[in-house]
Amino acid sequence: MESRPLVVVGAGVSGTAAAIEAARAGVQVTLIDENPVPASMAALNVPQFFGQRFNAVLHDSALMLRRVAAANEALAEAEEAGVDVQIGTCVWGAFRNSDTSRILDGPQLGLADRDQSWLMKYDRLIVAAGARDLGVAFAGWNSAGAMGANGAHALMHHYQALTSRRMVVVGTGNLGLNTARMALGRGIEIAAVVDVADSVRGDRALSAALQNRGVKLYTSHTVREAVGRDGEIETVVLVEIDDCREPVSGTEKVITADTVCLAIGLVPNVELLSLLGCDLAFEPELGGHVPVHDDCMRTSVKDVLVAGDAAGFHDGMVLDTEIARNQGRLAGIAAAESLGAIDTAEATARRSDLQVTAIDSGPTDAYLNWIRWLRALLNAGGSEVPVCPCEEVTRADLIGLRPPRFLKWESERRDGRSLGTLAPDAPVNPDQVKRLTRAGMGHCQGRLCREQVALLLAEASGSDIAEMPLMSYRPPARPLPLRVLWSHEESDQVRREWAKWFSPTSPVMG
Amino acid sequence: MPAESADVVVIGAGVSGLSSAYFLARAGRDVVVVDKGIVGGEASGRNGGMVSERVDEPLLIPMAVEATELWATLDEELGHPTEFVQEGRLQVAVTEKDMGDLLAERDVAMRHGIDAALVEPSEIRDMIPGITERTLGGLFFPNGGHANTQLTVQAYAWALQDLGGRLYQNTTVTGLRIVDDRVTSVETTAGAIAADVVVGAAGPQTGLLAELAGVHVPVAPARVEILATAPVEPRFPIALVGNGLYGHQAVRGNLIFGGGAHEWTDVDLTTSPGKPNTPLIRNIARRLAELLPGAADAPVIRSWAGVVEQAPDYRPIIDILDYPSNYVVVTASAHGFGISPATGKVVSELVLHGESSIDIRGLGLNRFADYGPDWREKRGWIPSPLRY
Repeated sequence: MESRPLVVVGAGVSGTAAAIEAARAGVQVTLIDENPVPASMAALNVPQFFGQRFNAVLHDSALMLRRVAAANEALAEAEEAGVDVQIGTCVWGAFRNSDTSRILDGPQLGLADRDQSWLMKYDRLIVAAGARDLGVAFAGWNSAGAMGANGAHALMHHYQALTSRRMVVVGTGNLGLNTARMALGRGIEIAAVVDVADSVRGDRALSAALQNRGVKLYTSHTVREAVGRDGEIETVVLVEIDDCREPVSGTEKVITADTVCLAIGLVPNVELLSLLGCDLAFEPELGGHVPVHDDCMRTSVKDVLVAGDAAGFHDGMVLDTEIARNQGRLAGIAAAESLGAIDTAEATARRSDLQVTAIDSGPTDAYLNWIRWLRALLNAGGSEVPVCPCEEVTRADLIGLRPPRFLKWESERRDGRSLGTLAPDAPVNPDQVKRLTRAGMGHCQGRLCREQVALLLAEASGSDIAEMPLMSYRPPARPLPLRVLWSHEESDQVRREWAKWFSPTSPVMG
Repeated sequence: MPAESADVVVIGAGVSGLSSAYFLARAGRDVVVVDKGIVGGEASGRNGGMVSERVDEPLLIPMAVEATELWATLDEELGHPTEFVQEGRLQVAVTEKDMGDLLAERDVAMRHGIDAALVEPSEIRDMIPGITERTLGGLFFPNGGHANTQLTVQAYAWALQDLGGRLYQNTTVTGLRIVDDRVTSVETTAGAIAADVVVGAAGPQTGLLAELAGVHVPVAPARVEILATAPVEPRFPIALVGNGLYGHQAVRGNLIFGGGAHEWTDVDLTTSPGKPNTPLIRNIARRLAELLPGAADAPVIRSWAGVVEQAPDYRPIIDILDYPSNYVVVTASAHGFGISPATGKVVSELVLHGESSIDIRGLGLNRFADYGPDWREKRGWIPSPLRY
């Protein structure tokens, strides 16, 4: 198995900064990024909410590799600094020994490209895996054309493959406003930017610039539904909301658009950190569960560091990329120091010109914004909206703890059960609700629904979301075909031990 | 706050404990179940969901046969769906050794009057679309099946509550109070519960729990893993065993298969064991793609890891003890899910009548009378480095 001194996961702003910083300090660095992702994965809305609004160019992996490389100048800089850059490679697993498993001879990552998977050991790991789109349901969001801001960004900036023509952006803030600006720059019409708040959130100059270009900004509005034929969004219905976030009838606006882009929030990608057992803390202003880290970006697991959106995302980071860059450099310096490439004095000197607290635009309470949106969309859309689009679990199914509809189970005793009868038995556990209702069990691996499921469960049960367990993350962190995950280098010992299952005679348990 | 007393206190809200509690409540007993975690929070809530007549383990056939009969009407009985599908269970041979094992099992089935039919590779390909061309033959058990694990444990739990049984989750047992030769109360983090009878159904913690009563129950915890794919077509309703794997296709269409090199581990009494997954899922993926080449493009979207327990002879221990005389040990050696309805029936009969109408000879604790505290070391069933 290959072993590398330092592996950096994610080649965004923070990951490239970390890799370059460590390489310049003399560390042999491996920088891994999953872009371009295979079209088959993008179609599952992994790792972002792509909403099927990409063209066939995603199937051309050679062209995609060129585009992704060309869109990221820092990659060339990293290569010049001696970094081994591996794009088109995803990290689907992170493994280390623990109390209940001692079989590994060192911490390691599970990697894969389009064709195969392999393992790679590391001495130090920097997780700069970014953030993913927050999903919040509205009627029609399971149609083609509903997507997320990071999905749109990837398709516009990295892939040049976005097929939207006319877009409604859901959410202002820098995330929504910047998405609208980027789309306009690529010739996509912005039909509306909507927010439940009574004023436009985010950068004033940016919102003014959009308004100067004729973009309509609807405040105190929400989405009632998106409708269209053949599973494609064609029109979007907005509705005004009152102070209680209830829709005001008669204020509906029907807008022609083929795309609804959710820009309500981003969620730090903590899967790998969770798998490695890094301590996570609930930070409502940073997008939920984020890794605990020190000023040098070291997590609670000694070989693992974190940087960028994965360490916690707030809206100020959209326009101020220096925050992520500084975090990356700090992580790179700390990794180099712990590997002995530079001494403590040198590390301190390199750190001194970095602003550790580079958060200029003060964080807002992201969760409060999420909850406002959730309530407004719930009030306008009702409880029959699918909260988990993969498994078609509605809000009512979730709160009613209804078994999957395909079982067609009806009984009076069953109907007497709901979240309300589960809650007195034990604090609500999202994993338990997931297994009973299937919400979060679909092919997107829960990316689109886990936050809103947690929010809905907290609201419905009166629980404090900060106290609710995080729905567990499991490998593979990407949906990988069996033929890709397939282990080509199975050891003799595994072959030998395999037949020794829990029976003296039979090779398997059944 | 738990009740102060109950006829029966069941420790462990896994499938064996909940089934026992359900059958006892159905017989009119006042039952309390306590668990340090949630219903089915450990292996009972996430396993292969297999239901079989256990021809591979003849001592278990009476219970397993009873269980398959109870499964057939379990949803109606409990009032909640378990997603049980009884379309049979197919074991396929991909090596000559497998084929020899199948023929031996066929003979056992015949001796015990269990329906089992040898099937040709061409028939196997009709039964399981996309299966490898390399099977040498198969053995089909028409009464076998599979169910959804979490739905099943929750169904038992809700059915228990529907009968007035009480369930205290996130409640950890800290002691067993013994007066003379009886457990008089179960001490928990939420107070003591006086009990006439105590059922210890604590899975991997069964041994540690029994130690609180001064009883040695030899079980060794082990970590196991399973993977799940996204839904795939075409469907097959038959539970499938072969190529070192066991599993089934869920009603929704997901392939759920596990197997492989297990790892002995340790647990403690008061905390839930960690659930680390390992790169073993790659080896499971490989075997599944070998077994079902037609599904090789199916994306793996999840994996489960958990801790199960094994008695030295791989068999359950179900026994009402001589000392303490009101303590029942229930541990299923990682075969508890499929036989769970029978387990509940047996335990309720043991509690009510001191004996069971189902033949459980060979499952008593006294068969391990010679096993000292160092049996795991002697056996080599201890955590040890394994490289892959």
